[in-house]
Amino acid sequence: MVGKVRAELELRAPINSDVIHQAFHLTSIASRPKIHSQFMADETKPRNGGEILLAATGLVKSLGGNRVGEGIDLTWHAGEVLGLLGPNGAGKTTTLRMCYGFLRPDAGQVRIAGHDLAKDGDAARRALGVCTQDDTFDSEFTVRGNLVQTGRYYRPRQEDLLPRIDALIERFGLGPFANQKPETLSGGFKRRLMIARAVVHRPRVVFLDEPTTGLDPQARVAVWELINSLRAEGMAVVLTTHYMDEAERLSDRLQVLQAGKVRAAGLSQAVLGDVVGEHVVLLSAETPEAAKVIEWFKARGAKPAQILADWHVALNAPGLAAFVAAFPELRYEVRPPTLDDLFLALASEEKR
Amino acid sequence: MNPYLPAFAWQSHAVLARHVRVHLRNWYTATLPPVCEPLIMLLAFGVGLGRQIGTLTWGGAPLDYMHYLAPGILAYTAFMSSFFQSLFGAYIRMHFQKSWEGQLTTMVRLEHVVWGEALWAATLATAYAVVVCLVLGAFGLAGQLTLHWAWLPVAIPLLFLAALSFSAIGLYFTAIIPSIDHMSLPFFLVIMPIGFASSTYFPLPDVPWLMTVSQFNPLHHLSEGMRGLLLHGQPTWHLAASAGLCVLMLLLLVPLDLRLLRKRVFGDG
Repeated sequence: MVGKVRAELELRAPINSDVIHQAFHLTSIASRPKIHSQFMADETKPRNGGEILLAATGLVKSLGGNRVGEGIDLTWHAGEVLGLLGPNGAGKTTTLRMCYGFLRPDAGQVRIAGHDLAKDGDAARRALGVCTQDDTFDSEFTVRGNLVQTGRYYRPRQEDLLPRIDALIERFGLGPFANQKPETLSGGFKRRLMIARAVVHRPRVVFLDEPTTGLDPQARVAVWELINSLRAEGMAVVLTTHYMDEAERLSDRLQVLQAGKVRAAGLSQAVLGDVVGEHVVLLSAETPEAAKVIEWFKARGAKPAQILADWHVALNAPGLAAFVAAFPELRYEVRPPTLDDLFLALASEEKR
Repeated sequence: MNPYLPAFAWQSHAVLARHVRVHLRNWYTATLPPVCEPLIMLLAFGVGLGRQIGTLTWGGAPLDYMHYLAPGILAYTAFMSSFFQSLFGAYIRMHFQKSWEGQLTTMVRLEHVVWGEALWAATLATAYAVVVCLVLGAFGLAGQLTLHWAWLPVAIPLLFLAALSFSAIGLYFTAIIPSIDHMSLPFFLVIMPIGFASSTYFPLPDVPWLMTVSQFNPLHHLSEGMRGLLLHGQPTWHLAASAGLCVLMLLLLVPLDLRLLRKRVFGDG
């Protein structure tokens, strides 16, 4: 069987002692072809004619002696949603905070709509809007008062601020609560208010840090629709989330961070192929041959992970072919990888 | 970056305007402390205790306690109101209400938030001092006090400067106290020592070390300077000493406050 795998691999690359193991390997960066490399090269040019609104290059940051950003690059365009993903501690919030000016990078540069955040901070901040992970509205003001007060923190002042706020209140469905204090709102409406506040000054780039965390499904869908509408308006939206379905539905492209570095970037399927593999085999742990099969995977460098009653093993095409040939009578399921697999893969890499 | 320039930026004034706006909506409750506190102090100490004390010696001349007390209350109001607002008020806005973070997501930066808080604390303390002046004026109309009101235009800016520097102390503690449960520390470490070693409510005893220490206490000089102005209509060196110490505190504390608050708010610094 190994011989068969070798034969298949000969078509792809010269064989060396590691090649067979590489065919099964879950996430080795060095061993895997860079599926996203072509996309990365295109990143310097506007896609679909969209203007580059966010350009962060070589962001480096240390906090409390820990390196939490190591040369992170981000480029984003008008009318697109970028999903910024990564496990806890990967550096997502730090990266976002450097991009919207909460943190000063130790090295690197952030340009918002062409303005250098370090040198031309006021103009850059005028062009960006932020919806933080926590609700940070001003509890002294009503819903409408919060929007008015936020508008006062921008110069030049918007001449049509009040009509703009009325329009936002209607569009975000906040009309019935306009004269109430924010703490009386449900979680979903609080999030709507946070997003409305982030766009009150008509920014060109909007950062949404886990905007739907803790919301029920209906409220999440309502927020998704709002995010979609921001994209339709031509804003560049940067979204962080732990909900993989949300990232897949909303994001035009993904950027995956791991340990303060960009691990992969590009279209969803390209990122999954790059980090996880092309296929995921699901094998019931109760299958009599399970122990033998798992040993077989491990011997070939794959990293099976047991989740509840199933073993999950990510494989590329030659690996899958070898597995199918080795266990022709076995019952199992093969499915494409999901972003949940990506998170598991990253977590697995970090454990190693 | 110059840490003092943001005091003049529109963003700091926008933060100040926000605090003024919130305060004015509750003016009826907000006006109670500056009216009631001097009223109670003047009645309880000036009238009540004053009858027991009679006169005391100040500047080599006899002075009744009510007159001794009145300028001291003015100075103490500027000190206490500013410190309280920049400590409790700022801490609650920063930590519990998260209104700082909301402001920081706009064109307002941390230095503007901090200067906005300091300017607000100083403005509020000065406004309270003006209300205290009105209460003192009422006592004057009742024949209980005779003060040189013409010197008020000199006194008010000095009170503002002093309040601004006291707010820098309050913000320092806002930056370093671990939690609201530790709020008693600045009261015992700063408010009580500065307040008692300041000749606001009573003359300092003739203890050499205490007299030496009090020379570095801006509240002591402020109280004595206010007495010279309002009782005798004479600007004294205490005013200059108070102003000098206040400017020195601002020069030392503002950069420190900004650095510590950056670390506290952003975990950076």
